[in-house]
Formats: sequence, structure tokens, C-alpha cells
Amino acid sequence: MNLTSLVRTSHITRTFTHSIKPISSSSSVSLSHTPTSLNPKPKTPLYLKPPIYTTSLSSLKKFQKWAKTLSSSVNASFKDSSNLHQELNWLLQDSLQNPNILQTHEENDNLVALRLKLDDLYDLWTQRIEKRRPFQYIVGCEHWRDLILSVEEGVLIPRPETELIVDLVNDVIKGGGENGDLGNGLWVDLGTGSGAIAIGIGRVLGDLGRVVGVDLSDVAVRVASYNVERYNLQDKISIKQGSWFEPLSEFKGQVAGLVSNPPYIPSGHIDGLQPEVGRHEPILALDGGDDGMSDLLHICNGAASMLKSGGFLAFETNGEDHCRFLFDHMETIHKESFCNLKIVPDFAGIQRFVTGFRS
Amino acid sequence: MKSDSDNFLEIKRHEMKMQQKKYELKQQVFVMQQQIKQRQEDKLFYMSLVCHLSGIHLEKVMQMKESLSTVFQSQSNSIKSQNPSSGYASFSKFSNGYVSNLDKKVFWSCGSRLFSSSQEAVTCDGLTVDGIVANDWLILDESESDWKSHASAIAQSICLIKKRLKWKKLKVRLEMLSYQVEKPDLWDDPVHAGKISREHGSLMGKMKEVNGLEQELIEHIDMIKLAREENDPDLESESVKALLRMRQNVKEKELEALLAGEHDSCSCYIEVQAGAGGTESMDWAGMVMQMYKSWAQRRGYGVTVVDEMCGEIAGIKRATVRVDGEYAYGYAKAEVGAHRLVRISPFDSAKRRHTSFAAVAVTPILGDGSHHVQINESDLKIERYRSGGAGGQHANVTDSAVRLTHIPTGITAACQNQRSQHQNKASAMAVLQSRLDQREMARQAQMNAQYSESLTDNSWGNQIRSYVLHPYRMVKDLRTSYESSDPDSVLEGEINDFILSFLTDSMDKENDEE
Repeated sequence: MNLTSLVRTSHITRTFTHSIKPISSSSSVSLSHTPTSLNPKPKTPLYLKPPIYTTSLSSLKKFQKWAKTLSSSVNASFKDSSNLHQELNWLLQDSLQNPNILQTHEENDNLVALRLKLDDLYDLWTQRIEKRRPFQYIVGCEHWRDLILSVEEGVLIPRPETELIVDLVNDVIKGGGENGDLGNGLWVDLGTGSGAIAIGIGRVLGDLGRVVGVDLSDVAVRVASYNVERYNLQDKISIKQGSWFEPLSEFKGQVAGLVSNPPYIPSGHIDGLQPEVGRHEPILALDGGDDGMSDLLHICNGAASMLKSGGFLAFETNGEDHCRFLFDHMETIHKESFCNLKIVPDFAGIQRFVTGFRS
Repeated sequence: MKSDSDNFLEIKRHEMKMQQKKYELKQQVFVMQQQIKQRQEDKLFYMSLVCHLSGIHLEKVMQMKESLSTVFQSQSNSIKSQNPSSGYASFSKFSNGYVSNLDKKVFWSCGSRLFSSSQEAVTCDGLTVDGIVANDWLILDESESDWKSHASAIAQSICLIKKRLKWKKLKVRLEMLSYQVEKPDLWDDPVHAGKISREHGSLMGKMKEVNGLEQELIEHIDMIKLAREENDPDLESESVKALLRMRQNVKEKELEALLAGEHDSCSCYIEVQAGAGGTESMDWAGMVMQMYKSWAQRRGYGVTVVDEMCGEIAGIKRATVRVDGEYAYGYAKAEVGAHRLVRISPFDSAKRRHTSFAAVAVTPILGDGSHHVQINESDLKIERYRSGGAGGQHANVTDSAVRLTHIPTGITAACQNQRSQHQNKASAMAVLQSRLDQREMARQAQMNAQYSESLTDNSWGNQIRSYVLHPYRMVKDLRTSYESSDPDSVLEGEINDFILSFLTDSMDKENDEE
């Protein structure tokens, strides 16, 4: 993470009125939280590794055949994620320097350049099938919107549903109007994980817009910072470590937009989760307490004091019940604070998001 | 009813008016030509200017003269011929009559240069391309190195190319476009302007290419004649070789001229849908899709599966692939229709003979700015399909298939091959755009009688080809009667001959009817 670069650009100070400190003034504090050299560097996604290994085309085809057989033998137990055929293609796509080579029907001993050892390919596919290790951890990345984000164990794999938060923000920014210039204000992504939402928003904001992504987890902060750098957005997005609003006290009442995909799965459901999720993804990013609402309510209550007047908020929830509850909560308890509340469904038709504005 | 003499007077008056107009135009041309000379603008600019200033009116006068000469043949002694090519010459002759107050010499040179772009290429002894065709020289094999054979073959090809390009219509259209391109208010509507100038550029290119071919042929012939006069066998054999090369190249141009449709050069989507009949017909649809994939790969096109719904046991219920490459649409559009398979079904334990169908649709991918339909986001129903359960953090899926429904038309498009939902949506959107564009073009074409004949071939339900694997083995195109007795290689993607025979057949038939 390069927060000093934020100091260098003079126009950042202009983003915030003179009464507040520039985003960088507290960076020394949050920097002390950020992982030091004790922690390993974030893993490079497979598709970015150098193609320094070789194998013959026929050996590769043999692997492909083996992997197909292995997946069809277990397809029934996969139920929810029976996309193994496609995943195998994508794994090969990411592993090969020239993926088109597999389209030929020939089998010969011509050498093919690989980004990992052939043995490791066998190993990874076995992990996928037998250990139910998520495909995204295997290839070290997740395609999300038009981004390719680095992910690894310890970071929640961003979900397709969550992509819509960026669309919601984009609509609000492009809508402009009575809420002022939100696109050039400060945005906050609470529980940023891989940095997905923060980066998505960072790319739709105006020149003066800034994003702060917050996460409690060491790994998440490292991975998110790495992703921010990979998209060269370190001047626009800073990642801070801490619990929810804790590292943001200096921005109270100044935030133009607040978004979050907090843990929302009720604790009792954790054991029954799909193996890819329950066995491999970080529980910190999933478990939302008894009813799954504890973090959502905490964030919701804090949002009233963080947002400036006219500021926008959007939360992802577990579904219809959560949305209703949150909506009623905000409409009754925070009657004075929020307005224009809405429940927005995802593409599968599940009521997924609650959005609104600070009065 | 008007008497003949009334008619005659009216037409004469009209002719006078047109001549007056012509005269004014010529003056304009003259002034502009002087300016151009001063500025020493390049030849290209000069040519386009000439086209624009003289083209459209000239054409009208020529048409008028033609119709006159058929009605009043006895009075038409001033009109030399109905042949439009010689019409230009006669026009330049009589145009001289109106320039008496100007320096005739200057004006004549202007006149002759003026029409050089549309005048036929002629050898020094007066042989034209049409003339060569009319001579009906015996065409010997390429290896005979007989210049007359080469020249005659090339001339015939040029005539075929002209016919395929609908030469007369193309000229009229080009003149109209040239006129529009020069309008000062053209760019008030940039989208329209873009379309006009693109089409103008492409037609201009075709026109130049064919004129260039004619010119080249004539020059080679002149060279051969010169070489004979000068007794220079090296030059002669060199020129004969050049003619031979041209004879070979021009064959390719004949094929290219088949793909002269507005969108032929586009990439496209190919969609295959299984007919009724369960697994057997789904298997057949899968075979048809595979045939196109192999065909496209062999042609060097990029192939991406956009949407695929597999059958439970075998094959596909439907699938859409995107084929990227030049002229993908031009070729693939020949495949639109129902494909019929007859075989002993491997899925029938009683080993009975089955007949199944697969329907093929092809839509062009138009470039940005040339879309016929603007899609409003509010008209769309967006669904994530193949997803179940609670979603969100509960599920880790790599499948983010998206289906779009355009509510006003009910047309749908789906995509599932991309690795993010966002990109699946964008990709489905492109398919939807292509389908809506196609629909709109079909609607416009229906209103426009000019295209109606080509439209009838393109309907989805028409059976176009039959693949029989039992009791005999044969693939037969029902439109052209072209057939192959090797179904295996056809199904492995060897369909070029079917496509070419259809394109040749339908285009040449269509043009003959005109």
C-alpha cells in the first residue's frame, strides 16, 4: 500500500473541506496496522505467472482427459456447482501461454508452455474435486465485473450478486441532481475483502473521488492493497485495517457514500454451507451472528453519523427477510436520518440490497 | 389524352431544361477545375469532385435520352445509341455546342477529363472490355499462354463481377451518396453521416477496383500489341505472364463480389436449435453446431460459444456461437434454414430409421454506430439463470449465466461462457443487439421491394439441406441441387462448396431477373 502517494497529489486535499484533515494525515496510524514483512506477499494469480514450464501437447491432452473423467465421476455430488467442465477449460486457459493450442485435434509431442508444472495441474484438479477447494483459490483469481481480482485463502471470493452494488453506485453518481457531486466525494467500503467493491467504485468515480476500503483481516488488507496496485488506483483508493468504523473516525459526517457486503449468514447455517464455502472461505467474512443481522445493524447504525447529508448507502443482505428487517429498522429507528429507502433484487430475483440516502 | 406531339414537346422542353442545368454544372466544374489546378490537389480529390458534380445529373440525362430514343425512334437521330457507355461519348460531343462563348479548347479538355472516370477503358485500336466479351474468343486452358484466351477470360470475369455488384444500381447509388456526402448539413446528424460516408467509401472502393481491373487489362493488351509491333519477344512474354496472373487473381475477385452485401463483411452469431424428436434431434443439432465450429476454425475465424443448452443425454437443445472474422456473416448467411438428417438412430434400441431437423439462424454483428435499434435498459428483463438456492455468500459458483429479455419484442438472448456476470450480461446484450438489428433489417426489407426476393431465402423454417446417412449416403442442398456423397467430411466442416454454390446461384439468378 502506498499512502504516501496520496500526500503527493495536492488536489486530494481539495477534495475535503479545510476543516477536515486530508485522507493521508492519519495514515501513519493505519499504517501501523498494516502487515509488515512478517507476512508473506499476496499470491500471484496463476494467469500472471511466467510460462516457464513445458510439457508435450499429448501429455496435456492426457491431463485434460483424466480431469474430465474425474469430474464426471463426481458430478452428481457437486449439485450446486456443476460447472466443472467450464472450470477445467478456464484452468487450462489460465495455465497455458497459448490456450488455443488445445483446439487442435492433433496429439503430438510438440512442447507447450505452461505457467505451472504439469504435476501441479494434476494436484490442483484433485484438490478441486476431492477437497472441494474453490476454483477461484485454485487459479488465484476471480473474474468480477470487468476486473480480474487476486484472491487466496483467507479472503472472501467476491460473488456475482455483489457486482450490482457498483451499478447502484454508478446510477447514483451519474444521476447527479439534488444530492450534489457524490462522484467526487469520499466513499467507504466496509469489509472490503479482496477490494472488489472499492475498486469497482474507484473506477466509476470522478477525478476527485476517493475510496477507503476497511477490513479487519490481515490477509484481506494485503490482498485488497495488491489488487488496488494492480489496477494502479493507489492514488484513489486506500485500504485501512480495523473493525468497521474504527479507522474512520476522522471522516465522521463527511462521507459521500457508504457500501458494504458484511457477513450475513446466520451462525446456525454455517455448518450446512456448500463445502467450497464452509470448508474454505473465511468464517470472519460469512458469520453474521445468530440471525445474521448483527454486523448489518451495526453498520446501519453507524452509517447515520458517517454520511454527510445527501450521502448514499447500499448494503448487501441475506435476502428478503434481511431486507425487510433492515428497511423497517431504518424507517422507524432512524426515521430522521435516512430517506428514499429501497429494496433492490439481484438478477436471480432475490431481494438482496437495501439502498437509501442520508437526509 | 395528350397527343404524341404534345408529349414530344414536353419531353423536348424537359431535355432543354436538363441541358441548361448541365451547362450550369459544367461551368461550375470548369471554375472548380481551375481552382483545383491552382491548388494542385491530388487526383483522388479531383475524381470525387467530378463524380459529385456531374454524376447524378448526367445519369438522369442519360436515362431521359434512353427513354426518348425508344419512344421516338424516328426523331432520335441526334441520339446515337441506347448503349449507355457510348452515351457518355455522345453527350460530350453535344455538350460542346453550348460552350461557344468559352474557350472551346480548354472546355473540351475539361470535358474529356471530366468523364475519364466513367468512360470505358479502350485500347489504342478501340477494343473495350465489353468488346472483348462480344468477340467471343475461344478460351483455351491457362497453360496455353494464349493472350486472347487470358484476355477473354478476364473480360468475362469482369462482366460477372459487375453483374454481381449490380453495376448499374451501384453507380446510381454511388452518385446519390456522393451528392449527400457533399451536402453542407450532412454532419448535423453524425450517426447518419457516418453511415453515408462509410457506404460511400465502400462503394467508391468497389467502383475503383473494377475500373482498375478494366484499365489493367487494356494496358496489358496494348503492351502486347506494342511488343509485337516493336518485335520485342521479352516484353511480349512478360505481358502475357502478367495477363495470366491477372486471370488467376480475378477469379478470387469473382468470389469476393459475391459478398458485396452491406453487412457481408461483418462477424456474426450462428444459432442452432434442435427440432422436435428428443435426443436424436438434439444429437443432430450438436452435430450441426460442430460442423460450423470446424468450418469456422478452418477458415481461421475465431469461434466462441456464447450460450449452450445441452441435451440430457446427448447433443444440444440450442446453442449460439460467435464467429469473428472478415466475411463471416457473408458466408454463414447461406446456411440459414432447416437442416434435415436421415439415419438409423443410435439412440433407438429398435434400430429404426429417424428423420430429424435442426434450425440454423445467423445474425450479423454490426459495428458501433451502425445499429438499427437502440436498446433501452428499462425495456430489459435481466435474469440470472441456472442458479438456485439462497445465493450471495451462501453459494460459491463459477457459473453466472445471464438471460436478457427485450420486453417489447419478446426476443431473448443468453450468455454463460464468460467468467463474470457483468461480462455475461454484456455478451448477451451484444447477441440481443444483433437479433434486434436483424429483425429491424428484415422489417425494413419487407417494406422495400428491392430486397424482398433475397429475404424469402432467409426464413428460419425453410428446409435447405438434407443429410442422408442411410440407406444411402448423400448430402444435398435443396436450393441449388449441389450434392456431395461424402457426408462425413461435410459434417467435419467441409461446407465451402455448398455455401459458394448457393451464393453464386442465388446472386446470379437474382441479377438475371433484373
